[in-house]
Amino acid sequence: MNEFSRRGFLGLAGAAGVAGLAACAGTGTSPTTGGGGGSSNTIEFWSNHPGNSKPVEQEIIKAFEAANSGLKVKLVDAGKNYEEVAQKFNASLAGGSLPDVVVVSDVTWFNFALNKQLSPLDDLLSSAKIETSDYVDALYNDYNLDDKHYALPYSRSTPLFYYNKDLWKAAGLEDRGPKDWDEFLTWAPKLKAAAGSDKIVMELPDGSNYLDWVFQNMVWGYGGAYSKEWTPTFSDPNTVKAGTYLQNLAKDGYLKLSKDPAPDFTAGIVACSMMSTGSLGGVAKDAKFPVGTAFLPGDGNCPTGGAGVGIPATISDDRKKNALKFIEFLTNAQNTVTFTQATGYMPVRKSAVDLPEEKAFLEKNPNAKTAIEQLPKTRSQDNARVLLPGGGARIGKGLDQIVQGQDVATVFKGLDAESQQVFDSQIKSKLGA
Amino acid sequence: MQSSVTQPQSATPGSGGPPPEVGPPPRRSSGRAWEWSLAALLLLPNLLLLIVFTYRPLLDNIRLSFTDWNISSPIANPVGLSNYIEWFGRDDTKIIVRNTLVFTIATVGISMAVGLGLALLLDQKLRGRNLVRSIVFAPFVISGAAIGIAFQFVFDPQFGLVRDLLARIGVASPDFYQEPGWALFMVTVTYIWKNLGYTFVIYLAALQGRRADLDEAAEIDGATAWTRFRRVLMPQLRPTTFFLSITVLLSSVQVFDIINVMTRGGPQGNGTTTLVYQVYQETFVNQRAGYGATVATIMFVILLVVTVVQVRFMDRGKQA
Repeated sequence: MNEFSRRGFLGLAGAAGVAGLAACAGTGTSPTTGGGGGSSNTIEFWSNHPGNSKPVEQEIIKAFEAANSGLKVKLVDAGKNYEEVAQKFNASLAGGSLPDVVVVSDVTWFNFALNKQLSPLDDLLSSAKIETSDYVDALYNDYNLDDKHYALPYSRSTPLFYYNKDLWKAAGLEDRGPKDWDEFLTWAPKLKAAAGSDKIVMELPDGSNYLDWVFQNMVWGYGGAYSKEWTPTFSDPNTVKAGTYLQNLAKDGYLKLSKDPAPDFTAGIVACSMMSTGSLGGVAKDAKFPVGTAFLPGDGNCPTGGAGVGIPATISDDRKKNALKFIEFLTNAQNTVTFTQATGYMPVRKSAVDLPEEKAFLEKNPNAKTAIEQLPKTRSQDNARVLLPGGGARIGKGLDQIVQGQDVATVFKGLDAESQQVFDSQIKSKLGA
Repeated sequence: MQSSVTQPQSATPGSGGPPPEVGPPPRRSSGRAWEWSLAALLLLPNLLLLIVFTYRPLLDNIRLSFTDWNISSPIANPVGLSNYIEWFGRDDTKIIVRNTLVFTIATVGISMAVGLGLALLLDQKLRGRNLVRSIVFAPFVISGAAIGIAFQFVFDPQFGLVRDLLARIGVASPDFYQEPGWALFMVTVTYIWKNLGYTFVIYLAALQGRRADLDEAAEIDGATAWTRFRRVLMPQLRPTTFFLSITVLLSSVQVFDIINVMTRGGPQGNGTTTLVYQVYQETFVNQRAGYGATVATIMFVILLVVTVVQVRFMDRGKQA
């Protein structure tokens, strides 16, 4: 017998390591329906605590348990962002224990609904006699697929136009946001002159950090779209016009992309940005200059965003009933106000703004009022971004390339082809199934 | 294969037959069997764990690579070789493979070279060397995510340490987050910094176990320091270098946390996307678990080939 040499052993160890790497890197699980597990009187709530909301979520849970003796809520840290919650939920669908309530974002809910892993809520809502007309229509209808709703709005946000009032004043501009992007272009040289070479006129998040979300406003502003229903429209002349506008802003030195514009903006080196309403609390607290907020440029061109809460399809009916009871409590007018004031997200109930504590809050925080007043002007995002798997990442990558100077029409033509391919291979056959 | 043990034949005294063959004593045979049994017994628990948690998922992963499985779907339809054909035909494959090669070669090469250099330096009798050894090793035990967050501040183009240092010599800082080449440089440097302690400590252990008499003999024979390093020290370090080249290669290829925290695979979509990050992107972001499994399988084959070549290379070195 050959001697089992040290090198041979190392070789084998290496091969085992390689095998382990591939096995770990891959999924390693068979696609099966989740087992469910769980208990009917303990509601497991999987959340990423959007906007550092863990304390306020715990507060709401405590109130729910006090109002519903016999029911307990277990709050589970399911990830640091919406994508991680979706990954954990996916893992549980492959055979683990399922939650009763799960946070699903504007981007992640659809794939679960399409693959029948989220429960349609309409029948459950009517059996429980829960009225949905008080939910803000634009937010409630974001979770609609084939006339069924698969989630209820929870931590919902929109982008806002943030500006540095000191720099605005130095540039001789009125204390307001631009009416549209053409007007902004007339302001940009003045802002650049007032700000100086060490400051930036506009900073936006890059393509890996939701540029595709805020750029939706620019696209709509120029009459374009990422898609009309399921047909990609990146090559539409108006969409290309918006892409060219973005590219020219960068070429002319008015635009810079970064991972997160909030630190630069609060440091006073950026004149304006488009960021989530969820950033408002931190920006207002940390900025050493007066912060202005305004509607996004254009009329009715503000995309919605953020997350809702859904119920897994394969848990028992008893668990679903309790889960819905908790969701209704979590998102009722009183609690949406509590959540909103703690995080900067938007109230998801129409009646919330009439509550005295919310009125007082808005009186004291006029910037928060901007977000609420903008709400009726919001639109659901185009399917190519939020409903096609990987849509946001795909568009973000293309926008990064455009800002770096690649030909707009070529990049958008590529996005058309890729988006169509994803729709054909992953969505088409499942629609209406 | 060694020949089997000859069993002693029975012989009756005075039977007139040929004298009995003299074979190995019976205890040796039973000793072998006992050794094998003991080896099997000791290996079995680990082998079972490997089968259940490594080889079975590996086979399952290969099976899934031939399907269109959407990670949220209970159904996976077979698609034959189409995932593989797509991977070889896609524009981004070239960029991702290039990123993986650059990242891996740089991290393996630099962390081993610098690790060896530091080990040689800190093998000397210097004041405070134990403290410096601890400092060099410390980053290795810190989580990659934490290091990624800390290094975001180091490389921040507005406020970062690198920007500040470059400004002192009148050089503008590159935008490490928006330019793909610089972004890849940034994650590579960060990973090397984290991993240096590992190569350093393994080389240091090997240096402390080397034969000092060989070095002394070469010195007496008039060999220069470079010749002694090349002809005396490096051959002694060959098994360690081989071990490190495999383990550092495997850990470099698996890097996910630093890339995810610092760049999320960007800028421009694939600026710092490596094969393992592509597996994550396809599986969890694009929901294409079948395609993700395909990338993982391709990565497995590439690494297997690289490892086999490394083993052969070392064997040839041994024979030479």
